[in-house]
Amino acid sequence: MTVQMIGGEMLHWSDLSGTHGPRPLSAALAAPLLAGLPGRVLVAGPHDPAGLPAGATVLVRGVADAEALAGRGASVLCGSLEKQAAEPAFDTVVALDGLERLCTPEAPDLGWEETLGLLLAVLRPGGRLLLGVPNDFGLDRLIALPPSPADTDWVAPDGPVTSADLHPRLAAAGFPVVREYAAYPGALLGAEVLADPGLRGFLGATLTAAAPAEGRLADPGRLIAGALRHGLAAQLAPGWILLAGDIAAGPAAVLPTGAVRLDGGAWFQGDGTPIPAGRTLADLILAACGRRALPAVRELLTAWQESPAAGVPADQVVVDAAGGCHGLAAPGTPVAALRSLAAWLIGGGYAHLWPSPADEAELTALLAGMTGRELDPHAVPAGPGRPDGGSLRELRVERDRLEQELADARARHEFYERTVASRDAELKRVRQVNALLSATVPGRAANTVVDGLKAGRRAVRAVVKRTRS
Amino acid sequence: MHHANHYYGHSHVLARYCGLDDTDPPRLRGYLQHGWNIGDGLAPDHEFVPGVPSFLWSERTRRRAWSLGRRQLYVTGSPFAYLLMMEPIDPATPREGTIWYPFHGWEGQHVEGDHAALMAEIRATEPGPVTVCLYWQEYRSTKLRRQYEAAGFRVICHGYRGGWWKDLDPGFLYRQLGELRRHARVASNRLCSAVFYGALAGCAPAVYGDPMHLRNEKPAFGGHERILREWAALHGAQVDPALARSIAVEELGADRLLAPPELRRLLGWPMPRSVEDAELTGVLPR
Repeated sequence: MTVQMIGGEMLHWSDLSGTHGPRPLSAALAAPLLAGLPGRVLVAGPHDPAGLPAGATVLVRGVADAEALAGRGASVLCGSLEKQAAEPAFDTVVALDGLERLCTPEAPDLGWEETLGLLLAVLRPGGRLLLGVPNDFGLDRLIALPPSPADTDWVAPDGPVTSADLHPRLAAAGFPVVREYAAYPGALLGAEVLADPGLRGFLGATLTAAAPAEGRLADPGRLIAGALRHGLAAQLAPGWILLAGDIAAGPAAVLPTGAVRLDGGAWFQGDGTPIPAGRTLADLILAACGRRALPAVRELLTAWQESPAAGVPADQVVVDAAGGCHGLAAPGTPVAALRSLAAWLIGGGYAHLWPSPADEAELTALLAGMTGRELDPHAVPAGPGRPDGGSLRELRVERDRLEQELADARARHEFYERTVASRDAELKRVRQVNALLSATVPGRAANTVVDGLKAGRRAVRAVVKRTRS
Repeated sequence: MHHANHYYGHSHVLARYCGLDDTDPPRLRGYLQHGWNIGDGLAPDHEFVPGVPSFLWSERTRRRAWSLGRRQLYVTGSPFAYLLMMEPIDPATPREGTIWYPFHGWEGQHVEGDHAALMAEIRATEPGPVTVCLYWQEYRSTKLRRQYEAAGFRVICHGYRGGWWKDLDPGFLYRQLGELRRHARVASNRLCSAVFYGALAGCAPAVYGDPMHLRNEKPAFGGHERILREWAALHGAQVDPALARSIAVEELGADRLLAPPELRRLLGWPMPRSVEDAELTGVLPR
């Protein structure tokens, strides 16, 4: 297919490559939402080329993206959204990437309402809109390091503050919102899924595993588990996806394995795998540590290490109501899993529950001991290191721990110095007593006897040696 | 780390439990609680070196120690509870009489009180034969020993608890357990380790009689008055044995005993050399 240049295009630019902002929503997550959309479909903004609806028209602003998409057979418009004729030519508009990457530097500065107006202007009345909305107060932003201005920042976006701000606007335009997903990397989560307390463990594990590894203020795992526990996972999602207008409400949630479904009171993944209900092992262990309940920690660790999930990291294990451990990731070695738990506990600020020095290897050996296994800290394999440069909070915890360990080591050193000095004095005294006793008549007699015995033993050995040779 | 770790043969019992040579226990990396107390688990004059962990008997003591500013606390349970686990008591073993522990001072301390009145009260209260167990200091006083013997009591001493790594007595706790399992009751004029040991070893406990006092006694952490308030149910000539046992389990951490691998790691002790698997792989499944 050819590319239709509508004007305002960006010549040396790609939104799909990941060099200018994040990659678009993966095809695996988008596909269940895009299946079976009727009529003419406009896909506006960057979307994973692998998941485009058949026959859709695609609007992108970078020429490189337009050419790549045309090469895959798509019908492509290239340019800035405001150049597109404001005719209600489409039955469906898909803008899962949101409103921020639709216009180019050639366009006048437009607010989000104006951009939304442009998008709605091409949508037929009674049609359907699938719209992504970023959350400025999302978990990812809360723990992000201060950003440097990027090439995409020629204008600062002024998006809606919350998805709720969009509901009345879309309803007024004739496209009432029928479904809102909390959009996380690796999952789109509907309200009924987030409201089920039994799914918190699975969701926490899934969202933590999919969180991008990059420099940040704090490890996202604890924040995600907290948000789920406090019913804030929707409000703190990195973004939302809204389905509006004459459209089915869609699945309760979407994972890379497909649409999640409820069957007979139990949840199943798209590939039919049952979703275990319960909390993650890491969450349960941290909670027990918070209560200083080491017997509970011991029980959890032992059950885990005796289960088939022994090699699965604790934050990827869901513990069901009966205490069964369900691994959500491929198992490694049990020692490596214990070590990652040790790192997690130290990062969580719980190292003080165990005698110092509680570094990762020492704590791993002690955790193994708590399960009844003997493990030498020197036999603990090296950890994965910190490919992401670490989170600042965890670095601070580590620094504080090392500072404390150094202070303790110095105090112990002083104690040992004092002890050695007093033992030296004791040794001197004992030697003096020895010397005095040796000088007495019985002392000399005893020495003579001992010397005689030694000489005898030497003589016997010499004879034995000669006999053998 | 501290000579008190080896009092009463405590470290010897733990070494045996850990599969190590119990005639010469290794150096213990921390402070081991050596008696029941109502403070932070260690002696009031204990000198803490920062970063050295304390191994305490009970969760209650751990919580209290934490509130007193102590850190690096780990509940291991008491050595006596480990000994009892290794030397379980046969319920069919006959028991008779009472073992009575008069309140004693420790090295350099002197108890002041009317022993004659106490003996009369013991005689009036105890239905069967009475064994009086004196601390080694009192036991050395022939006069006092004779006084108790004259009252018709069998007088014994469990031994010298040791000190400064000298005159250590690995048999102390064994002798104490041996006596406790022969008696139906354990009693004292103050609630103390021995009463809890007895309750755990199946004796019906009692705490009664003039509590006496130490010369220049400085009550720490609320002293005897607080013990009376907090553990009122354990005081009197007759005490509910089931309740006493549950309190003894809690105070001695008998429900908190650790498996040998964990205890060895905590105390900084090696694996037993006799296990070849462990030497080859560093891993010893239990």
